[in-house]
Amino acid sequence: MEITPFLILSAGLISIGLYGIMSKKNLLKLLISLDIMDVGVNLLIVTVGYLPGGTAPIMDGDYGKYVDPLPQALVLTAIVIGVSVLALGMILTIRHYRRTGSLEMDEGGVFGW
Amino acid sequence: MVVHPTLLIVLPLVGAFSVSLIRRYGGGAIKLYGSAYLFLNLIISAVLFMEVRSGGEVTERIAGYSPPVGIFLAVGAVNAVLVLLINLFAAFNYLTFNPKDKEPFHRFTVLYLLGVASSSGIVLTGDLFNMFVFFEIAAVSSYALVASSKDERSVGSAIKYMILGSVGSTFMLISIALIYSELRTLNLYDIAHRIGEMGGAVRTAAFTFLIVGIGVEAEIFPFNGWVPGVYGRSDGNISSFLVLGPSKAAIYAILRVLITLFYGSSSRAVMMDIAMVLGLITLVVGEVAALSEKDPKRMLAFSSIGQMGLILIAISLGSAAGIVAAVFLMVSHASVKSALFLSSDVYRQGGMRYTLTGALSVGAVLGLVGMPPFAGFWGKWYLLSGAADEGLWIVIAAVIFTTAVEAYYLARFLSRGLSMKKRGGVKPTRVITMTVMVGVSLLVGLFASVIYEMVSAGVTTLLSGGI
Amino acid sequence: MRRAVSALLALLIFAYLFGVLLKAPIPGDYRDERYNYYSPLSGREANESVPDHYVERGEEETGSQNIVTSIVVLYRGFDTLGEVTVLFTAATGVAFLLSTQRSKGEKEKKKEPNFMASTGVGLVLPFILLVGAYIFVHGHLTPGGGFPGGAVIATGFVLMLVAYPRFQLREKKVSVVEAFSGLAFAVIGLISLIMGLTFLENYLPKGVAGTLLSAGIIPLIYIAIGFKVGSELSAIVSHMKGGEE
Repeated sequence: MEITPFLILSAGLISIGLYGIMSKKNLLKLLISLDIMDVGVNLLIVTVGYLPGGTAPIMDGDYGKYVDPLPQALVLTAIVIGVSVLALGMILTIRHYRRTGSLEMDEGGVFGW
Repeated sequence: MVVHPTLLIVLPLVGAFSVSLIRRYGGGAIKLYGSAYLFLNLIISAVLFMEVRSGGEVTERIAGYSPPVGIFLAVGAVNAVLVLLINLFAAFNYLTFNPKDKEPFHRFTVLYLLGVASSSGIVLTGDLFNMFVFFEIAAVSSYALVASSKDERSVGSAIKYMILGSVGSTFMLISIALIYSELRTLNLYDIAHRIGEMGGAVRTAAFTFLIVGIGVEAEIFPFNGWVPGVYGRSDGNISSFLVLGPSKAAIYAILRVLITLFYGSSSRAVMMDIAMVLGLITLVVGEVAALSEKDPKRMLAFSSIGQMGLILIAISLGSAAGIVAAVFLMVSHASVKSALFLSSDVYRQGGMRYTLTGALSVGAVLGLVGMPPFAGFWGKWYLLSGAADEGLWIVIAAVIFTTAVEAYYLARFLSRGLSMKKRGGVKPTRVITMTVMVGVSLLVGLFASVIYEMVSAGVTTLLSGGI
Repeated sequence: MRRAVSALLALLIFAYLFGVLLKAPIPGDYRDERYNYYSPLSGREANESVPDHYVERGEEETGSQNIVTSIVVLYRGFDTLGEVTVLFTAATGVAFLLSTQRSKGEKEKKKEPNFMASTGVGLVLPFILLVGAYIFVHGHLTPGGGFPGGAVIATGFVLMLVAYPRFQLREKKVSVVEAFSGLAFAVIGLISLIMGLTFLENYLPKGVAGTLLSAGIIPLIYIAIGFKVGSELSAIVSHMKGGEE
């Protein structure tokens, strides 16, 4: 299987997420951008572990060729961490909204002091 | 092996998992329970420190598999000092929290214990991905702690911190994926041993993404936009926790990346130069911004950025003197800057006039500027001598210039604080904690040879690719 | 202006990252000699790579048929303890931040449950819980394990929250489940230390790979993770909906 589309996709998702983070001020859009980046990186990690012609690393029967199992374990961890950060981000957004009545970020965006 | 370093991470986790079971006994009981774990951790880290001091490095495998197949913890001289430092100050800092301010206190205790455990984890682990996981625990607990401050605007700062921190951790993951694709390993020492096999472009990219990713947490210049807001709006004792815990762990992670991970690579000199330039910019920008800042907490925040830049410069010297300087600077920053953050809450209430807090703040300021006999003096001393050895006059000039700036704005900070006529109460726990912090800085300065001998013995193995 | 600069920067990062990825050896065959690892403790070069070790020796060393599971629970079990802890940190943070600031005047009217929804959920719920339990009990045999299993169980509770507007998760009970499942994971690891092994090392018989009662402590840890993940995800959702403290 040709691997380049997956590399384009993961690099693309990461940079789309970065674009969102740099250009948006709406907190929900920022959280969505973070999630898009996360998906891109997870895709990259899985792609790194791909082995042409390999099967899932479950030793049931003799297939002889398995994909690299370690990235799959890493991605599991990365997904759970992404969910956790997103959950906390949602709560912070809710509290921010209750206090200010707005979903805009204060202090002039992400990169200012 | 007398103690298992794993316990430093697992015991606070046990405490955090179980603290909700005793919540019906009230805040006092919870505080006692949390402190018990923290002080137990302090004892363990002290034993570990003595062990490393007498017998060199300590390693511990997890799940019985030898690295790089399994994960392992690697404790050398530098991280033994650091883990003792983090656990010592974290335990005393916990005492300053009043259960009534942080309702429900059992949840707060969970977040605090996890923050301590993960900072120790970042420092102890010998595995890149494991380090990333601990970074995330530290980050998530810090976001929540910051947002729980009295100043309601801290939520906005926490959001900013969270977004920058998440971008940073995504960059760390990209770097991990790149390194893994080339070497198929995640162990720091295995990567360091085979770093030469990596392709040049991929190695540079991995280095860049890793430094940016950790740099967000380590307050390195263009990635530190969250710092003034977070330190400026958080409660003083939460800022002091961030200073002594996660940010020290992050700057140590940078040391691991620069000294262990990429030390053997052929483009090492360029990487060190980049780090040096970043450190210089961070130092100068931070200190100058602190000079023009009126708000005491924000001023301390900018000053903190400057100090982190100083530590980064020391690390990027790449020599034995540089690493020794970095250790002293970390001790100094974690102790006296945390003490100043603790005093910053009573700054406006006049709590510094004719009180022990005021006296301790004077000591802390002296320590921060680098007066003998405080630890900060030795930090700057070894840094200057290390820079002189390599003929880096720009570093010497920058350090002397920023020290003057630092002395000026800290004197202004003190004179305003000491002249406030109002009378405000200071909690005795804060005074005790500040005494411990300033006292440690003083003791480390007075008995500098103990740390110096231990670290410089460890640095030799560190620089030759060992633990 | 802001958008144009961001777009330009994002494009540059895309070009750089994609260029680097093209140079990286993806996909690489991990059985290749160039990936052979170096062991920092013994200081020797091995004649296998790390993933190769997992694939070739994993089943024999851990007794688990699913190699990803053996990595998640044993080889890199410390990561997984951290991963569970990240989720726990987030769940605690959510509860902590919502309870310190109760919303004022935001009381939503509790509606009566919709008949279709409540009947449907009543029919489906037992099966959801059963599937969730099945997934985490069979983690060492089939794809899945504690995390997906726990997430499936949490969807059951989310359905309850959706179908019955008055349904509330008993916060105290959930936190007891949370506490004991987390403690179970840590204590299973600490028992190895007490027995003189290293943290999280297997001390139970490995059994015959491919049967339910095999792989030593892996199923036990996955059951603990399943309960922990299930209770934490449910607690997060329930808190966001505005549950009791």
